[in-house]
Amino acid sequence: MTLYHFGNCLALVYVPYYLTYKYSGLSEYGAFWKCIQAGGIYIFTQLVKMLALATFFPTADSVGQEGFDIVGEFLKSTIDLADLVGILLVLNGIPGKGHAKVLTAGIGWAGAEVLLTRFLLLWVGARGAEFDWKYIQKSLESNISLVQHITTATLVWLWSRHDLRRGLVPVVVSMLLLTVYRSLILDFLSSLLLAGPWSSLFIKAVTTLFMGATTLHMYAGLAQSIGIF
Amino acid sequence: MWLEECDSFAELCRGYLPYYLLIVLPIFIIISPANPVAASHEFPVYRMHQYDLHGVPHGCRSSPVSLEARSLTGWSTSRHCIITRALDLAPDSFYSIRSKAGALVVVLPEKMHALSEEERQHIMALEEAMLLGPESPIPVYFAPWTPDLQLILDDVSSSFLTDEKAGSAAEAMFNSVSASGYQVVVATSQAVARTDVKVATLQGKLSGTGQEEKLPTIAIVAHYDSAGVAPELSFGADSNASGVSMLLELARLFSALYSVGRSRPRQNLVFILTGAGKLNYQGSKKWLEDQLDGLEGSIIQDASYVICLDSVSSSNNLYVHVSKPPKENSPGGLFYKELKAVSDAIGGINVEGVHKKINLAEETLAWEHERYSIRRLPAATISSLKSHKDPARASILDMRQDDQIDRLHTNTKIVAEALARHIYNLSSSQIFADSLSVSKDALLLWQEYLSNQPRAAPLLADKQNPLVTTLKEAMSRYLGDVKVTLHTPDKRDPEFVFYDVTKATLNVYSVKPAVFDLFLTFAIVLYLGIVYLVVHNFTHAYNLATSLSVKSKTS
Repeated sequence: MTLYHFGNCLALVYVPYYLTYKYSGLSEYGAFWKCIQAGGIYIFTQLVKMLALATFFPTADSVGQEGFDIVGEFLKSTIDLADLVGILLVLNGIPGKGHAKVLTAGIGWAGAEVLLTRFLLLWVGARGAEFDWKYIQKSLESNISLVQHITTATLVWLWSRHDLRRGLVPVVVSMLLLTVYRSLILDFLSSLLLAGPWSSLFIKAVTTLFMGATTLHMYAGLAQSIGIF
Repeated sequence: MWLEECDSFAELCRGYLPYYLLIVLPIFIIISPANPVAASHEFPVYRMHQYDLHGVPHGCRSSPVSLEARSLTGWSTSRHCIITRALDLAPDSFYSIRSKAGALVVVLPEKMHALSEEERQHIMALEEAMLLGPESPIPVYFAPWTPDLQLILDDVSSSFLTDEKAGSAAEAMFNSVSASGYQVVVATSQAVARTDVKVATLQGKLSGTGQEEKLPTIAIVAHYDSAGVAPELSFGADSNASGVSMLLELARLFSALYSVGRSRPRQNLVFILTGAGKLNYQGSKKWLEDQLDGLEGSIIQDASYVICLDSVSSSNNLYVHVSKPPKENSPGGLFYKELKAVSDAIGGINVEGVHKKINLAEETLAWEHERYSIRRLPAATISSLKSHKDPARASILDMRQDDQIDRLHTNTKIVAEALARHIYNLSSSQIFADSLSVSKDALLLWQEYLSNQPRAAPLLADKQNPLVTTLKEAMSRYLGDVKVTLHTPDKRDPEFVFYDVTKATLNVYSVKPAVFDLFLTFAIVLYLGIVYLVVHNFTHAYNLATSLSVKSKTS
């Protein structure tokens, strides 16, 4: 029965990715290989980030400390800026047309992340005899991060365009910064509100949806004006 | 170039890859080293005593557990493991559990030292019911109290999981989906009889002046093992760490007297520490057989008197248990008289003789002296317990208490003084005083050392046991001719058999019923359907966004 539960979690994690890939039109472009390339760049970026973290924050193993070290966490999150650079690399390096370009970057990036960070966790955890809601929560969280990564890719793409309206540039930049520090802010918020895992998951979903909607609005405007369909 | 590669990859996917995956994935799952049981709760547990005495099986006969946890009131079949507090478990319900349930985990009280008299009685009655009743075919474990265990206990007792019919079908459905259960796993091998059992009996002597063989001998005997419902929990502070402490203190005092030529009496003193005393005094029995039936000269002869010490610190009374009332002028009678005189002189201690005939029909002998009385040696047991049936003699509650050492000190003083007066045939003079007095510190040291470790006979039955070695060293410091005899039960028809697996680790997993997983699948499919609809109809959302932004641009 536990293998069954593992299957449940696996379906919850990966089927939305498959659906997005299949029905967003990417499969028609034959973008599978490009998604894998995006994933390769993701892995490279993570390695660079890990090197930087290990070099500049060597005391990260003092976990037992109580309280929330805001400055340290802030600096650590700053390293996540590398993610944006990575996504920019994906966008510039991988050819693509129109919507497919952004979607390839987003799905490839998110897919690599979900493969590398979730599968092992579920394999070790959800297969056990012990039941824990944690794994279902993690699975739902990875669904949210799919939306999040597509949003980030879109924002980076918007930022790289020179024909973006002047008035929207600060909005895009501030939203990019928000995506970088999002996990930090959410952690801080849920520790402040003493939110349980379910409610912090809910907060994450709502904020991500909100950011996604805003980004979609800006993207639609630009795409309309430069004629991508 | 990109396109070609991408085409070939797609070709691969369409061709063989899925079939390879069909083979590889199951293999991967099977050979995967990931341990599927990583418990969040692990507790040390101690298995109930299991032993055979005279071919009759006793105690718990099984050890592995992998069952669903239930409370004392919620269980129904042999597929349930009952988790309960010791104070909630009555002997009657234990009888029904023993025959119908799958396993039993008893959680000991939080404060073992601070139990009320009623609670003590309850636990001792439970122990008696468990050990002295017929064997229990199910595994029985004892767990010390921890906060985590208390949480599990609360959870299990307030669980919805019952097999009773719910009000309606929907209610029953809801119950079975929302309920959470616990799986109890004790992953040990089945307990098997130990073949390497060696019960050590230690002896040492002090020889009097004159021809050694012709002098009368007094033997002082104490068994060093303890008993309780679980071997690993039987610390036996009173029974019989106190007796061993008293014996070692007597050895120290008399070795001082015997070492000086002028004060060396015309009596031999023999000190014997016997093993497996709680198993019908097997150590004494074997030692006597070796001494009386052996070819070598014995250090115990007809002119001897045997004093056994058993549980000498539990009250301010000393009872001299005999199987035959001693004659006035026999060593026994004289010693008893001295004992009474000394206790009157010191005061506060009540010495009383108790006469009980040996009942050979019973499975076990009452006191250790009966072993010697059967072999026609005059013998008595000194104890501060009045009845051999006192459950405190074999209880896990027999732990070290603070005021115990004072009583042991007084009792030792009386016994030492009486023994010295008896040996020297003096009266009304204090022999052990000033520099040669009963040392409370020495008593305390031994009492602490002994009662800080579980000393059930199975735990001490290996060849080079540290406790036996320590006792031997202590004896050879004061006594001569210290010998350790190892007794191995007969291979074909053993008088007693010990079993392994005395302690284990209890894993408790929180699990959900199988229906819950199906329900979860249903919910996930529903969710994925919604995701499908959202992705499929994303064009509408996109068009909406486009029209919105066009509107905002034109306005």
